[in-house]
Amino acid sequence: MNDQTVATVKPRQLSDFIGLSFTFFTSLMAITYATGFIEKIMNFNYLEICLFIIIVILGYLACAMRANIKTIVIAGITMSFFILSFHQSSLNKYLIFSAVLFSIGIYGLTVSRNAVRVLMSIELMLNAVNINLVAFAQYIDPIELKGQVFAIFVLTVAAAEAAVGLAIVLSIYRFMASVDMERFKLLRW
Amino acid sequence: MTFDLLTNYTNGHFIDIIFYIIAFISFPMAIGVIMDKVIIRSGFMLIGLFGTICAMFLLLQAQFIALAQLMIYAVGITLVVVIALMLTSPKLESLNELDLDDSKISGFFLSLAVFFTLFTAIKSESWPVRPEISGIDSVKVIGAQLMTGYSIPFEFASLLLLSALIGAIMIAKHNQSVTKKSPVQTNEDNLITSSKK
Repeated sequence: MNDQTVATVKPRQLSDFIGLSFTFFTSLMAITYATGFIEKIMNFNYLEICLFIIIVILGYLACAMRANIKTIVIAGITMSFFILSFHQSSLNKYLIFSAVLFSIGIYGLTVSRNAVRVLMSIELMLNAVNINLVAFAQYIDPIELKGQVFAIFVLTVAAAEAAVGLAIVLSIYRFMASVDMERFKLLRW
Repeated sequence: MTFDLLTNYTNGHFIDIIFYIIAFISFPMAIGVIMDKVIIRSGFMLIGLFGTICAMFLLLQAQFIALAQLMIYAVGITLVVVIALMLTSPKLESLNELDLDDSKISGFFLSLAVFFTLFTAIKSESWPVRPEISGIDSVKVIGAQLMTGYSIPFEFASLLLLSALIGAIMIAKHNQSVTKKSPVQTNEDNLITSSKK
């Protein structure tokens, strides 16, 4: 009985330790940046971009050392977003948030092999655009709110796009019995 | 009342704290939508992501857009996406999960370049921010805008939705005369039968 329970527990490996230490180090860097301690030591214009590049390089090294990719990506994105947007104005915070969501959507659009997941990442990018429009409407045009009107048009276009795209995916699946993007060569000149 | 108390307690950074909490919830959701092995789970994570974006709209005082977001995205579009996931067989992405192949590296650098461009553009621009005006009925303003200045795009949006729905039904309809084996031959058969008639 005891042997079975011991055997099912997965032992801690070096890769888990690397992921945890990466998360700890990036959160420590973000907190020290928020308190303004790093700015006292070295004071120049592009400090947050330098910290962002350091986080990217460390995350790439941790991925090369076989750490869990999802842990590295989530910790790196949240902490670099915190560092990049902490000392900005409140409009720039929303704009940077939507830029992060847009680039996550671009990554999913280029990488994923399932056609339905490609459609999901397109929806993500359209949502990032909506956040941009509503933030501009709140901070720059608070009387006429034209950004919210454009957000409504983006909503309707996204609904139409989802309906037509999923219908195309279903008909291709019925024709080829696959949703793999690398096997879709129907439109090859 | 409680809002004022919390604002005093956190030195006026209450909105920022809520913003960072929502952002830190929404980034793992987005990563889960992109990178999760089980694709039906990523389809359900899309609902949570749209919920956090709805909370973001509520922070921006756009109540009508937030509720429209909940109704259209978090209920409608994700329902269609989940039904499409159930109708197809998604067992292909779990093969090469951990390999850093070429498309993943190129996609990573592409998204990094896009984010860096957007960030430098946002940071270098000085936006003409106006002071906040409280007490504006956003639904009233949006309705007046849609009926006066933007009435023609509004009508075109309804036309677009109608034509897109008809087109989706036409594409997804199961055509019984076209079989999987030889669609060309069945077309010829149809031509022959029509000419005989």
